[in-house]
This record gives sequence, structure tokens and C-alpha cells, in this order.
Amino acid sequence: MSKTLLILKREYTTRVKKKAFLITTIMFPVLYIGLIFGTGYLGSRAKQKLDIALLDQSGYFTDSSLAAVNRMDSSTLFTSVTDTSIQSNYKKEGYDGYIIMPALNWQTGMKNIKFITDKTHGSGTESMIGNKLNIIWSEMVNEKLGIDTEKKTVLSSSSISIKEENEQNKNANSKVSATIGYACGFLIYFILLIYGSQVMLGVMEEKTNRIAEVVVSSVKPFQLMLGKILGISLVALTQFLIWVACIFLVYSVGKYLGSGNAVASALVEGIQQSFASINLPLILVCFAFYFMGGFFFYASLYAAVGSAINEDVREAQSLSFPITLLVIFAIFMMTIAIQDPSGPIAVWGSIIPFTSPIVMMARLPFGVPGTVPVWQLALSMSLLIIGFLFSTWVAAKIYRTGILMYGKKPSWKEMLKWAFRK
Amino acid sequence: MNILEVHNLKKYFATQKAVDGISMQVKEGSIFGLLGPNGAGKTTLLRMITGIFYQDSGEIIFHGKKFDPEKDVEHIGYMPEERGLYKKMKIGEQAIYLAQLKGLSKADARTKIRHWFEKLEMESWWNKKVEDLSKGMSQKLQFVTTVLHNPKLIILDEPFSGLDPVNANLIKDEIYNLAKNGATVIFSTHRMEQVEEICEHIVLVNKGQKILDGKLADIKNDFKENIYQINANAIPDQLINSLFDIEKQTQQKLLIKLKEGTKTNDVLQYFINENIELHSFNEVLPSLNEIFIGLVEGTATARQFQKI
Repeated sequence: MSKTLLILKREYTTRVKKKAFLITTIMFPVLYIGLIFGTGYLGSRAKQKLDIALLDQSGYFTDSSLAAVNRMDSSTLFTSVTDTSIQSNYKKEGYDGYIIMPALNWQTGMKNIKFITDKTHGSGTESMIGNKLNIIWSEMVNEKLGIDTEKKTVLSSSSISIKEENEQNKNANSKVSATIGYACGFLIYFILLIYGSQVMLGVMEEKTNRIAEVVVSSVKPFQLMLGKILGISLVALTQFLIWVACIFLVYSVGKYLGSGNAVASALVEGIQQSFASINLPLILVCFAFYFMGGFFFYASLYAAVGSAINEDVREAQSLSFPITLLVIFAIFMMTIAIQDPSGPIAVWGSIIPFTSPIVMMARLPFGVPGTVPVWQLALSMSLLIIGFLFSTWVAAKIYRTGILMYGKKPSWKEMLKWAFRK
Repeated sequence: MNILEVHNLKKYFATQKAVDGISMQVKEGSIFGLLGPNGAGKTTLLRMITGIFYQDSGEIIFHGKKFDPEKDVEHIGYMPEERGLYKKMKIGEQAIYLAQLKGLSKADARTKIRHWFEKLEMESWWNKKVEDLSKGMSQKLQFVTTVLHNPKLIILDEPFSGLDPVNANLIKDEIYNLAKNGATVIFSTHRMEQVEEICEHIVLVNKGQKILDGKLADIKNDFKENIYQINANAIPDQLINSLFDIEKQTQQKLLIKLKEGTKTNDVLQYFINENIELHSFNEVLPSLNEIFIGLVEGTATARQFQKI
């Protein structure tokens, strides 16, 4: 055991001391936030502007009504034209396309009026143009039906909606739960993927440095593998705790600074309220459990793969692909589970160890025992423990043989043979 | 007393009988040579002795007791043929780490490393990284980390590969020193001239089986072919006699093979009678290399895969 500790210590200190650790610790949140805001920003900027010529034969699309629609936003610009020569020379006149609005019956309208262009703009553009023209159209229809402004307001605002209330868990707020579920699931997903491959590369370290045989003549391969996995998981945990501490710091500072500011204090209150609606201690404890459990489960699989390959990183990618696929599969299950947290996919996905760390974390914020019965949680947890003990055992067997093999790349079949021979 | 006894050790892999019933004894304080062509099973045998592999059957006795890898590895220093170091680690730290894995305390490891580094003129290396070392230098470092914890049994697999003659001699002297101070050295190689120089006792393995076992001097005696070399002033072309056959003849040199029953004095008498003046007369023992080649030759050069 003390040797495992020695290996753990070396793995941990050499990794934490590296510049790469500092850089990823700072860069990951920055990049993550940048990604979210950046794509949003780009998305809002990149909308293209379309100039559309409208040849109106119905008489419903007047210049003034088109001008009103054009004022709504600048993404499309309708221009009324009268000359049919537009069909052949719309490009020369600077239009992106044209629409010929035939004479229509106002009571039936018409589907699939053609928007002629010389390139494809996609369904988003299609429905945007349709919506804008429909505003003019329904205005006209309303007028013909004799609906005035007052009635129109009633029509548009009067409706009913449904909100679920689980009688076992009255505080449940499905929106907040879904958000927290998403956040937890994705966090575990990222950590599995990032640190899983770290474990794989870490295990290769002994092989690429050709020191494996020297080390296993002093310690058992299992101790070496365990020390490496634990060491790298502690690095992951350290990094994670740094992030949590930073978030907490930002939150506290925001709370302090915002005490006089109405917007900020409303925000803080909102956060407090949403956390009040979930069982925070339970979520945190479960998160720690599934975080570590899932990590060990997958890390040992990645370690087995890492031990079997040679220096070639391409081999690593092709052999680890099935494992990565499982993690990605879990994320798909999670998105389904959040839509329907009590459905069969959510239940089974949260019980089977391959997907449970991600799927269960997405379900838990919806409430225990409201959405997740206690037996399911208990079964899921014990299966995960059994799962990672088993995967560690299998990995250790593969590792023992793999770490001393040089030269040939083994197939999955061979690795399974190593795992299950006496 | 034997520090290591191996009884009928077997290890089969899916396509090879890597070690197929080898027995041997290694006397405490001796320098023992384990020889064999490539793929003979040397490394597999050593891996079992160092606790890296479990044997399929057979027994390993270490220091009079059944070999317990868990505890006994601390008394073994193994330098495998496939060896390396953590490239990115500082040399001093790395040596301490490897010593700690062998059960030494940090402080103990530090003083021992300082001692060895001084002895082998490596003091300036402490804060360098392994990637800055040449192949020969890292070999030296590997030797130090192998013997640092004062192992009773030191196993060296091709220890001189990649070393220049000066450093090879340095290491060779240290091996003698260690043996003199009571450590046992097992020396695995296929370089015969080194074995002839260093080892007292050898075992030759081929295709997973032992084909030769004994003291180096005895083995050479067993394999001698009664060949003698004679140097003389002038040797006549015609030397017909019933005592010996001529293997090779030049103006002043003669290589003869004695016939069954001939004594050396008979030969000398013959030359005196012929009135040929001899300068020297000595026996030619076969080199280990010749014995090795003679025994291994005829078997396939590379081991074939076989069904088991």
C-alpha cells in the first residue's frame, strides 16, 4: 500500500507542477465561457441580409405594409416591384431573389408560394420570410373578419398552460432541475473524456520510457496502475475544486457588491431561490460519488487500453474509440433523461454503470424520492461500485500483460483473452 | 549456500514453451552467467525470478525459503534488457523515487545515491533531466539505481550494451566489488567473451531448456578436444606418426590433435627423437563461443511458434 502511495505522490506532484496544469486550470473556464458567449455572438452577427423583390398580383401587400415589416429587423428587405422582367434580371438589379405573389383568395390563402433564388438559404430563412409575410396577411384577414385591435389583444394573450407538480416533492422546479442536471451531467462528461485520455497517456508513460519492467520488478503492476489512476484522479479533483472555489468567490463577491444594486441582488436572490428548490447536500454528495465512481470505472478501462498500446498515439485513438463512444452514448441518454426523467431510458440509463454517472446526475436534481425512488439510487450506486471493482480487476489483468509487451498492437480479442485467463 | 534454487520451472505462453523445465542453483557470492541465444527463454526465466511473472509450475527457493515476490523483491536488484528512465524527471529525484519503491527511506536513499554518484563521478548530474543524458550515461545511472538498495541478488541483463570500453570497465569493476562484498550476481548475455572474463559458473539455455550447467573451467575441460599448439624453429613437411593427427601446419606453427591414448609426454618424446627444437607446447581449450555455437548450431536460429 505504501508503494501505491509513493506512485500516487509522484504522479500527482509531477502533474501539478507542470505548466500545462496551470494553463488548463485557467484556460478551460475561460474557453468554456468564451465558447458559450462566442457562439451566441457569432450567431447573432452572422445572420445574412436578404434583398427580396416582391411582385404582388394579389393587392394585399402594399408598400406601406411591407415598409412596416422591413422596419422590424434588418435581416430581410422586401421591395415591391411591378415589372415581370424581374424574373430574368433580379440579380442584375441587386436582389437575392424574388417572389411572385399570385392573386389569392383571402379565406384560403396559399401554401408553398415560391421564393426563387440562385442559392439555397435553408429552412430558417424560408420560415422567416413566411412569418413576415404572414404578419401582413393575418392583419388583412383580421380586418376582413372585422376584428379590431382590442379583440386582437384578447386573441393573442388569452391562453392556458400546464405546470407539473409532483406531490412527493412540491418544491420541484423542473426548469431549475433540468439546468442543474445538464450542468452536472456535462461536467462529469467533460472530466471523463479529458482525464480518461490523461490516464491512458499516463499509463503509456512507463512504456514509452521503457521503464515498465524496472518498475514492476519493485511493485506489483496492480499497485502501479492503482497509483497512477488515483494520482491522476486527485489532479482532476484538485482542478475541479479550484474551479468550484472560484465560482463561489465570484458569487460571494457579486453578492457583496450587489447589495445596493437592484439587478445584481435580484440575480443573487434568484440563484438562492433556485437552489432552495433542490436538495443541495444530497446533490453534492451524489455528485462526489458519481464523479469518483464514474471516473474510476472509465479510468481503469482507459488504463487497460493505454497499457496495451505502444508509443503510437494513433493506436491509442483507435483502441480507445469504443470507450469514448460509451461516454458519448451516455450524454445522449442524458438528454433524453432530462426530457423525461421517469421514463424507461432514464431509469435504465441511470442504473447501468456504463451510463449511470452521467444519467443519474441528470435525474437527481428532479428530486429524491419524487422522481428517483430510493431503490433506484441504491441499486445504481451499488452497481457502480461493483462495476468499477470489476473493471479495475479486468484492467489490472490486461495491464499486467500489456505493460511488458512491445511491438505488436493487440486486438480487442487478444486483450479480452489476457483479461480472462487464469 | 545457494541463494537461489530453481526446480523444474515452467512457463508456457500461447504459442511458445518459453521456459520448459529449467533447474539450476546459484551459489551465494558467485558471479553466475546465464547464457543463451536470442529467444531462448532467458528473459522469461529472469522475470519469474524477479516476481514479474508467476511460473506455471516448478519452484523458486530464495535464501532457503520459498520465493515470496512481495517481500523478496527488496533483496533483488534487476536491470532488465528493456530498460529506461522517466525522461522528464530530474536525475536525483528519479534515483530517490526508484530507491523508495525498493523500500528505502528518503533520507537513506539520498545518502546512498550521493555515495554512488561520487564513486562514479556523477555528482554534477543531480539536477539534470534524463533527456539530457547520453545512452551510456543513462546506462550508468540505471546500474546505480539497480544496486542502490544493497540487494543480495543482482540480476543484470546485457549490462554492457551501449557502454564504451572505459565505462564498461568501470561497471565491471563495480560488479567484482559487489560480489566481493557478498552480493550474488546473475549475468545474462549472449556475449561470450564477457562471460569468459567474469563468470565462475554458467548455465546455457536453448529453446526453453537447460543444455549446459557447470563451472566455466570444468566445462572448458569437458569440451576440450586434445588439441595442442606447437611452435618450433622449422617443422618438416612430413610428420607421419601414430600419435597425432595434424590439424593445421605452417612453417613454425603446428596444430595437432592427439589420438586416443596418447599422452603429451609421448608427443614431446617424439619431437625430441626427431630432433626438432620446440619453442612452446601448449593445450588449446575451446573458447566458450565455440562451445556455444557447437551446441546451439543445428537448432533453428530463431524459435518457431508452436502449438501447445
